[in-house]
Order: sequence, then C-alpha cells, then structure tokens
Amino acid sequence: MAAAAGEPVREWSSEKLHSDELAKKDIIAFLQQHASESFLTENKLLGNIKNVAKTAKKDQLIVAYEKLYASKRFKGKDAVGHVTKDVKDLKVNDGKAAEVKSEEVVDDGPPKYTKSILKKGDKTNFPKKGDTVHCWYTGTLEDGTVFDSNIPTGAKKKKGAKPLSFKVGIGKVIRGWDEALLTMTKGEKAKLEIQPEWAYGKKGQPDAKIPANAKLIFEVELVDID
Amino acid sequence: MCFKHRTLGQGGVIGLHSGPHNQTDGILIRNVGWNLIGPIAKCMQSCAVGSEKERGCLQLLNALIESCNPKEILLGILEQIDEAAGDHISRIILPFLQPLQIVLLKLGNKKSYSVGLSLSTIHSRLSNLPVPYTAQQMQEDKYSLCQCCLALVQFAQPFIDIVSQSIDLSKEADTEEMRKELLTFCFSCLKYPLLNAPLNTLPEDEGDHPLRVFAKQIMGFLVSLGESLPRTFVQRGHSAPTNDTEGSISGNEVCSVESLACLSYLLFVQHIGIDSFPFVFGPSFLVKSNMGHVAVLLKRTEESLLSKGLDLLEHSLLRVDNGSLPEDVLEVLTANQVLQDLVKVMTLCPIEHLRKKSLATLQLVIDKFCVEGKYKLFRCLLKISSHAGVEGYIIHNIKNQIDAALKTNPQNKWFLGTRLTPLLLSALSLSEGAETDLLQMSDRIMASLNLLRYLVIKDDDNETGVWSELAKIEQDFLKPLHTGLNMSRAHYDAEIRSTHEKKRGSHSGKPLCTVTAGGNKLPDMTPEMQLQVLQSALFTFDLMESVLARVEELIEVKLKSAPEGKIGSS
Repeated sequence: MAAAAGEPVREWSSEKLHSDELAKKDIIAFLQQHASESFLTENKLLGNIKNVAKTAKKDQLIVAYEKLYASKRFKGKDAVGHVTKDVKDLKVNDGKAAEVKSEEVVDDGPPKYTKSILKKGDKTNFPKKGDTVHCWYTGTLEDGTVFDSNIPTGAKKKKGAKPLSFKVGIGKVIRGWDEALLTMTKGEKAKLEIQPEWAYGKKGQPDAKIPANAKLIFEVELVDID
Repeated sequence: MCFKHRTLGQGGVIGLHSGPHNQTDGILIRNVGWNLIGPIAKCMQSCAVGSEKERGCLQLLNALIESCNPKEILLGILEQIDEAAGDHISRIILPFLQPLQIVLLKLGNKKSYSVGLSLSTIHSRLSNLPVPYTAQQMQEDKYSLCQCCLALVQFAQPFIDIVSQSIDLSKEADTEEMRKELLTFCFSCLKYPLLNAPLNTLPEDEGDHPLRVFAKQIMGFLVSLGESLPRTFVQRGHSAPTNDTEGSISGNEVCSVESLACLSYLLFVQHIGIDSFPFVFGPSFLVKSNMGHVAVLLKRTEESLLSKGLDLLEHSLLRVDNGSLPEDVLEVLTANQVLQDLVKVMTLCPIEHLRKKSLATLQLVIDKFCVEGKYKLFRCLLKISSHAGVEGYIIHNIKNQIDAALKTNPQNKWFLGTRLTPLLLSALSLSEGAETDLLQMSDRIMASLNLLRYLVIKDDDNETGVWSELAKIEQDFLKPLHTGLNMSRAHYDAEIRSTHEKKRGSHSGKPLCTVTAGGNKLPDMTPEMQLQVLQSALFTFDLMESVLARVEELIEVKLKSAPEGKIGSS
C-alpha cells in the first residue's frame, strides 16, 4: 500500500509490462483480482483467464493496466456512474472495416436472435443447408464473460489452430447459429445476440459456465464454405 | 568384456560406472557396449529399488549412452523392455524411461520413427498389466501401473513440446511424422488403461489421483498436438459417413472406436478437456453423436465399461430439455443398438446397480424425447425388448403419456386418435394368443389390463379410439386371455394334484434336472416347495382374472350408459 489507501501496489513498471517475461495470464490475474467489476466488464476481462488470454492482445492488457491506475477503479472503489468514454480504444479493432451496421431484425415475432454485421462478406456466397462452413468465433455472456473461443492466441500463432467446421442448417449447432449462418456470406464477420430459446435454453451448459436462460453473444467470422 | 560380464553377474559394479579407463577400453565399449544393457537390466531386476547397486547400474548405463551409438543403445533398451514380463514389466520400464529419453533426444532430426517405436513398445508391455479396479487396488498400485503412467507422461513431454513449438508442420516432415506417432500413443492410452480405469468411483475432489492426472495429461497432449477434439468426437458419432472428418489426421489407423468412446466419456462425464471443446453444438446433436460411443461401451460386459456407457448416455441426455429430443435421433443406426443394449443390461447384467441404473437411464431417454419421439420409441421398445418386465414398464409409460395427453394436450396427435391405435393394439395383445405363457408374461399382461382399465374409465369421449377398437381388443386380447387363464389354471390344478399324490407316495424318482446358482448346486425342491410354487402361480392367475373381470364389467357398464353413437360404435 504505497500510494493512496486501498490502492494495490503497482506491481510492474512499464518496461516490465512490455517484456516477454511477463505473461498475459499474470496481467489478467492481477486485473481480475484488483479491478472493479464494471471496469472488467467494460474491458472484456471477465471470465476464465485462459479464455480472456485468447481474446485479448497483450498491448490491450497493458493499456487496461495503465488505465486502471489512471482511473483508480479498483475493487470496492468504483464510483457509480464513473464510466470512461475511452473504452472504445480497447475494443478489438479487427481490420478497418469494423464499422457496426445498424441492427437488423431477423424474425417476425419477438426476434430469437439479432445480427449486426461487423465486416461485410462477398455478398454472393451464401451457405446452403448441409454445406460445411468454417468459422472463427468468440462467445460471451451478457456480462462480458468469455465462455468459449477458437481464435488462436495472438503472440505465438498456434500453427495447429483451424477454424471450427461443421455442416450448417441441419441442427448440429444451436439454432441461433444455424439460422444466422445461413444469412451470412463468405468473409462476413457478424455479432450475433442469441436469445436462450435458440441457445442453451433453461438448462444452460454448466460445464461451460453458461447459466440457465442465458442470452449469448457471439462474434462469428465465416471464413469459408464448401 | 568377459570380465565386465562377470563382475556384473557377481553383483559388483563399482569401478565400471566411471566409464572406460583407457583408449582400447574406450573403442571396445563404443562398439560393443550395447551388449552390456542386457546384463545391466538383469542386475537391476535383482536389486532393490533405490539401492546403491541400482544407482551403480544406472550410472553405468548413462556412461554407455555417453560413448556408444545411440541407435544401438536404443535397440538394446527396447529389447529389454520388450522382453519384460509379469512382475518385471514396471521394474524394467521405470528405470529405463529416462535413459531412453536421453538416447532419443540424441538422435537428431530423424527420431520420430524411434519415438513411435519406443512408445508402442512400452505401451504394449504395459497393457499386460491389470488396471487397478477397487479403491484399495488403486492405492496399492501393485504392478506400479499408475506410477508407470505418470512416468510415461514425463517421458513423452519433450517430444510433445517439439511438435507444439514447431512453427509450420507442413515444412517439417519429421515433426509431422512425430505428431502422428504421438497421436497414436495418446489414443492407445485412451483405450488402455483409461477405458478400464474406474474414474467414476473416485470422488470428484480427488483431483490428484494418478489415473485422473494421467487422463488430464493425455487430453492436454491431444490439444497440444493440435488435434481438434470436436472433429475427433464427431468422427465416429454417426454411423453414416460424414464429410466433417476430412482434414482430421486421426483416421482409423490411429484411433480405435474404444479410444474415441473413452475420449467422449472424459469430455462429457469427467469434463476433462471440455475447455477445449466448442460450445456451439446443439444438445440434441451431442446426444446423436454420442450414441455411437455409448453403443461401443454398452456392447461390452465389463463393469467399468458398462458404467461408463451408462454415464455417458445419462450426461448427454441431461443437457437436453425434457420433451425436446427430436425423433430423428432414433433414426441413427446406433441408437437402436443402444436401446437394445440398454434392455440387455437391464435384464441380463449380473451387477445389480448397473441394472437399476440402466432402468433409470431408460426413463431418462423416454422423458427427453419429444411426443413423436416417445411414440416411436415405445413402438421400437415393444418390438425389441422381449422381456415381460420391460414391456410392462413401457406399457405403463404409454398409459402415462395418454394420461398427460388427455389432461393437458387434446391436440396431441400421437397419443390420441388414429395414430395411437397401432401402439394401443400392440400394447393390448398376447404374443402367442391363448398359448402365451401367462406366468412368464404376467408383468406385461397386468400392465396391459391396467392400461385398458384406465382407458375405459377415463376416456368417455373416445379420444384415444379405444371404443372403436374394442372389438379387435376383445378378439386379440381379452378372449385369448380368458382361454389362456382357463387352460393354465386347469394345468396347474392337475400339477398340484399329482404333487400331492407324489408327496403321499415315496419320492424315489430321480429329479429330471438340477439347478446351479453361482456354481453351487441347489438342493432338489421338496414336494412342499413345489406345492408353494404351484400355489403362487394360481394366485397370479386369480389376480389376473379378477382385474380382467373388473375391466369387462366396466366396459359393459359404460356401453350401457353411454349415449348411442358416442362410444362403442365406430
């Protein structure tokens, strides 16, 4: 407790932060231990450390670390309404085309899922039922907890990593995926918000920490169809 | 050379482990040193673990590794491992693992074949050891299998690292080859010892049990090797060929169906490796895919495999909401197999807790299916079960479904109306008419009578079609049942009379056959016991007859009181 009371000691200097010795997992563990819930949510740092490590780049973690000390939003100290506007800086900036399209509603009744396009596809190659699609994805809960992702870790690109492949439209995946992927084109990246009825429903998936009646948010990139 | 052999034989190794003393010795050792591995192995077998003498042997071995051709040393060590038998298996494997690892690492760029050969040699030796089964056996680890497994993980680790640190496998032929060898090894470990390991009986919190640790390491290895768990899992889930498997290296040559079944079990029941499994698949799809794996496990007779099969089926079903499993799951070829095997375990397995568990699992299967699925499931089960108790159980379930349909869902087109008729007729029938063995079939017949009684009482509006089918039911069920009851009763009455007579006379007659249970011959039945059995058969007939009479009475009353045209006419 060197600085203000209740503030955790700054564990790492800037050089230390950037050095290869310091693993991402350590920074995440530190942040999860010391930062407030809302800070973690805004910065997408909640959830299994392994999963967070998969989705966050080290640079982002360093920014978050610095920001935690700048904003002093430590655990138990978070002022209500203290919302930083520069959260955007930390959002995964995938390419330049990350402009969020207006949400389009895809069902007549109360929509079971909504899709917003993050990156346009080729607009011609739609998968048909039974086609094998290949995708990268990250799944999060509403509070930002990442429950699953197949995107390889940034630093040491895993050579073995392959996108998830499955036959679309024939009930292999949760309904929200099956329906949404049929509307996507090759190369498209979209954010899907899926209601529990079209996801894991009232059972949830306890082994993946998906609670009952959870709305799931996926960022899915359709990389190939065959 | 001769001298050294002798010294080893006599138990003295001191002076040898410092390596060659002069140049001639050095050349000699370099060329024929590997010949010493055999005597060293023998010497090690004879001395205590951790003894001075054993250390001496190991030092000598390390000195040989230093100076000899690694390929020769490798073959020398593998020869020793290959020859190990009985109690000596782990006694040889354990101390040799580390030297073997050093030799392999010395081999340079073309080691994948040798790594594969070493792993398969070790594995094939180990698989001769019995897998500990009870908690006590595990603790004891009499054959040091658990210890060997953990040592094997250490042994394989550097080679796994070589693969996982490689940048581009397509450019490194030997590393790609190594990956295949290591995958083969991991899959064979899933088959032995993990398939037989009683992981379910270990308490959840006992995370550090060697076999569980081993399971975690092996699954971790698979992931490190870049093996896609979902692909591997789906590969065998369907009996139909599927394109989803293309690109997966785990072709049939590396993994057996048993390994895949064990993989699914570890994933879905033990939750080992589930972190690396995607959460986008639908629960019904997982059930469908798991059917193949469950079928592999239930086909066996060993307790640990059967209980793994039942657990896997249960855990995949628990992911599904009640009443939501689509009927097309039944179209999977293996699903039929699973149902048959489930009935087989329920009725024929000598282990009581498995029989109970399989019955509970059957109920879970029934509960999870959608209405149409339930309907098809019942028809299928009535066809395949050939066991009065199971059939009675199914008929009872049919009654419950009809009840639910009548009470809550008049739109149910499977358990009401014309679609129900064939199911109803097959539930209300006697397989061999009046000649049916009523005693053996009593569970089923009582359930049928109960169902009919329920329908007659509850269904005044003929929603189930029971009144339209009454003539047929009378013809195929009630009438033959009457005849059967009369015949059986007459037969058993006669039997009782003749037994009474026998009892009065001397019972010198030799028994026609003897019965043994659990290897012990049961004593012949005394006439008193025979009488008791016959009497209890008569009681069963009495019971059947009274329910039958009550049902017929109810039918008559309803037909009389019902307004014309509503019931009784079709």
